[in-house]
Amino acid sequence: MTNNYRYIGKKIPRKDAKEIVTGKAAFFDDIKMPDMLIGKTLRSPYPHANIQSIDTRNAENLPGVKAVLTYKNIPPWTVGIPPHIPVLDRRLRYVGDAVALVAAETREIAEAAIELIEVEYEPLEAVYDLDEAIKPEAPQLYDFAPQNMVPDALPLGVEGFEDAPLHHIKIGNVEKGFQEADIICQGTCSYDGIPNPLPPEPPGIIVKWEGPEEAIVWSATQSPSWANILTSMFLNFTEIRSIATYCGGSYGSKNMLFNISLHAAALAKATNRPVKIYYTKAEHLNAFVLRPASRIHGKIGMKKDGTLTAIQGDWLMGYGANAPMGFMQLAVGCGEAQLALRCKNWDFKAKCVLTNRTPSGIVRGFGGQELKSSLMPILSIAMREADIDPLEFFKKNYVKDGDGYYWRDSKWHVCEGMDYRKAMEKGGEAFGWKEKWKGWLKPTTEKGTKKTGVGVSLHGNADVGEDRSEAYVRLMPSGEAVVQILVAEAGMGQRDSLCKMVAEVLQIPLEKVKMTPPDSLVNPVESGLVGSRGTYACGTAVIAAAQDARKQLLEKAAEKFNTAAENMDTADGMVFQKDKPEQAMPWFFITGPFQSFTGFGRFNTDFTKPNFMMIFTEVEVDVETGKIEILKVLAATDAGQIINPLALKGQIRGSLGSAGIDTAIMEESVIDPQNGHIMTSNMIDYKWRTFAELPEFDDVILESQFPTHQFKAIGLGEISTAPTPAAVLMAVSNAVGKQFFDYPLTPDKILRALGKIQGAESK
Amino acid sequence: MKPFKHFTVNSVDEAVLLLKTYEGRSKIIAGGTDLLGVLKSNILPDYPEAVVNIKNIKGLDKIESGTDGFLRIGPLVRLKDIICSPLIKEKCPLLATAAETVATNEIRNVATIGGNICQDIRCWYYRYPHAIGGRFDCLRKEKKGPCPAVKGDNRYNAIMGGKGCFAVCPSDIAVALSVLDGIITLRGPEGEREIGIRDFYTPLGTVMKSDEIVTEIRSLLPSQGARQSFHKFTLRKPIDFAVVSVASLVSMEGSMCQDAKIALGGVSHKPVRAQEAEQTMRGNVPEEALTAAAAEAALKGAKPLSKNAYKIEIAKTLIKKSLLL
Repeated sequence: MTNNYRYIGKKIPRKDAKEIVTGKAAFFDDIKMPDMLIGKTLRSPYPHANIQSIDTRNAENLPGVKAVLTYKNIPPWTVGIPPHIPVLDRRLRYVGDAVALVAAETREIAEAAIELIEVEYEPLEAVYDLDEAIKPEAPQLYDFAPQNMVPDALPLGVEGFEDAPLHHIKIGNVEKGFQEADIICQGTCSYDGIPNPLPPEPPGIIVKWEGPEEAIVWSATQSPSWANILTSMFLNFTEIRSIATYCGGSYGSKNMLFNISLHAAALAKATNRPVKIYYTKAEHLNAFVLRPASRIHGKIGMKKDGTLTAIQGDWLMGYGANAPMGFMQLAVGCGEAQLALRCKNWDFKAKCVLTNRTPSGIVRGFGGQELKSSLMPILSIAMREADIDPLEFFKKNYVKDGDGYYWRDSKWHVCEGMDYRKAMEKGGEAFGWKEKWKGWLKPTTEKGTKKTGVGVSLHGNADVGEDRSEAYVRLMPSGEAVVQILVAEAGMGQRDSLCKMVAEVLQIPLEKVKMTPPDSLVNPVESGLVGSRGTYACGTAVIAAAQDARKQLLEKAAEKFNTAAENMDTADGMVFQKDKPEQAMPWFFITGPFQSFTGFGRFNTDFTKPNFMMIFTEVEVDVETGKIEILKVLAATDAGQIINPLALKGQIRGSLGSAGIDTAIMEESVIDPQNGHIMTSNMIDYKWRTFAELPEFDDVILESQFPTHQFKAIGLGEISTAPTPAAVLMAVSNAVGKQFFDYPLTPDKILRALGKIQGAESK
Repeated sequence: MKPFKHFTVNSVDEAVLLLKTYEGRSKIIAGGTDLLGVLKSNILPDYPEAVVNIKNIKGLDKIESGTDGFLRIGPLVRLKDIICSPLIKEKCPLLATAAETVATNEIRNVATIGGNICQDIRCWYYRYPHAIGGRFDCLRKEKKGPCPAVKGDNRYNAIMGGKGCFAVCPSDIAVALSVLDGIITLRGPEGEREIGIRDFYTPLGTVMKSDEIVTEIRSLLPSQGARQSFHKFTLRKPIDFAVVSVASLVSMEGSMCQDAKIALGGVSHKPVRAQEAEQTMRGNVPEEALTAAAAEAALKGAKPLSKNAYKIEIAKTLIKKSLLL
């Protein structure tokens, strides 16, 4: 689409591109500092156990070891809402749970010391399955969570969090809704392969104490404020200065550095030296954030024309051994269910369930991918009975201007200015949906042993406007603009996009826009790059700050030009009267050498602008071997005004990674059913798609001008993975002619569905 | 990784002497693509004290066609060299195909054929990283059973010939060599010995002693016109080890199968020659019914564990594919 902007919507190389490709950019492992120690963790061999005795003397006596910590000698910090994760615990709740911590001069010494710690364990019975875990007789992980369910979160009582987060959608009367239905269907679907989002760079953190209540943390994160404000809340508002390094990918997961922060902070405190913890790939695979497991027992009432009359269900979200932020994912997921499905009667309860495996946490899609993946197959039963084309169903039921919903804050919001039906239509046309869709459980083509099928699913999220952002923009005597906002670079290119917005407001060359480093001491408060909020929320803040600074400059300039401010304009570092642009003056003449103009901008929470992503896919199933090939993916969306076309395409193609599309066919963390170990502990066994094998990928991106900020844009980076598993599952079900209800669809499951393997189920 | 001594040797004798001196506490390194992973994950209870680098030994990187009807391949020949060798392409394309299915381009550029044959098993219980709660008890390592895969998740484990251990031979080259009647020459302190590829692997490892080194790999040069094929089933095209693989060598006389050699990979601790299936094929016309019968015969002895019965179906499919004209 053509526009009159200088930077917005143009394909311009990223400001940081050279720095990254030449190796100049400093990533986490490049950070070294004098006196830094290396922290390592002794990890539990049992899925559930108590430490009976622990002897650290040999480890402490090893030369080069500076501290050994166990549950007996740690600071009394606890993280999570409600607080339930101490630095170390006597009770161990997953294979890989932290038993003890060592800080030493080198990694080799720390690793050797770990092996010298002697521990006796009292093994306890473990539980892995969600439905098993909530039975009264199941082994209990915590006292605070009876039947392994985290109690519903309470209102925090602070600004923005006045009400309890949404965990139960209760609207209308489902009994009445079922009576009105032509079709009632019921089913259970599990999306519980707990895949690992697996950014290329493992997580890491360095903590250095500056005083008893004052620390600096360096981490690779997408949201430096999480290491700052959120962690600080758990530590009785200890002053934490958070500095983000370049981050080699996060996909949500590196927001969850709470635990590892506590480990590094405790070791740094004990040694009074900076301590670095940097996970190995095996730790990253086996002991860091997994996607939550999801299971829905659901019941749907629908009319023949696809009108939903009732949605009832229990949504179990499995978090493994702890759930510091689980309640928020449930809340957002409940909101997202309503965006996708317009229905007058709801009774849908979400529960946060704990089991004995590596904890889950924040992963791209934030509850939404898990919810959609387990809800869509149940909805498919109803759509099949009504013989409704899913694309038509989605067009009918997805939220649009004027539709209301309860969001994560339990408040009612009404969608303003969005209508995505055209994007759905255009996507369907580009994909050839009408030609390829042969009806429910019918293959698109059959040739020899190969059958193809198509599927479609969607996702949308109103978190693009969640929480607050603050920014400053300083106009400097040199003609440069300095943007101050606490935004890190985790691969999405958002720092660059924000600079482009400021350059556009001020009409100055992009190279004249500088951004302060992501350091919480330097920048105002900002919630972070989560929920696709960078474009709208952070964008609004920097645009407002730039506008404010520009206004101050023009007001001052107006005095000099002896005119009113509204007659003044600025471009390329010059100020001039609109009707006499030839008599221009550099900013320097207005500021003088010792004055700058600092504008302030703030974004206030807005839950009325849901974004949207639809994924069409075509798969091929070999009915002799059970192998699935994803042939084609098409993403259809409306981004509003595109800010950075290449960054946007990159984000959309991200649906092939970050525990996205392949969680439908091969990506999973396989848990040993007897001992609770994660067996997929290397990159051969963990089935991660390689770049050598990418399917055909197209996109249809509309550019409606949305009522957001000056540039009419909306963010959607986060959501591109979320519809993919359900779309693939639908496509495979159609190719094979059987409706599937769990993931991933391995050859074993396909061959069983086709009756080629007899005997006990593999699960 | 833990510290170890690193020796670079210039001759086989020097290598053997060092291996003997270290009495099992040393490891040979060539391409290193397997060994480095083993050391990094600390999967073995006995960490090597020394690593013996054999890359500098002259003469172990040749591919030659002997007068005795055998192809001679040095153990330091890289998989990349096998794929690019005009001689192998012409006489033994099956070997080149097998080499090409291994890992990725980057790995094939450094990985050697000797290393491919001698690489450690991939069973995920055996490979479990020690730093995440400790190793599994395993007959191959701590000499303690039972094999954790039997009651665990055994989707990639053996469906035939498991004796205590249910790991499968990870080498694709070994499967190809199995139908080419491959012979491995080993040199140790007592001199040289030869061993057929099918006898090289034992239920708990290989026949190789800790002070022995592979000095040559010999392969039959199949007759002109014999049909050769190698099929490998994986979830991902690059990087994955075989879930199942099938190598075949079929000699025809007109429309009749005169001789057939069929080997299965990914099903047992060694490549398995499907002798009954070969017998089924001999003297018959390879039509669909016959190849199906051969596939059934090949898998007759399969005893799948709880989660790997699907391998039987995949193996049958690959056999049929490799035998049909």
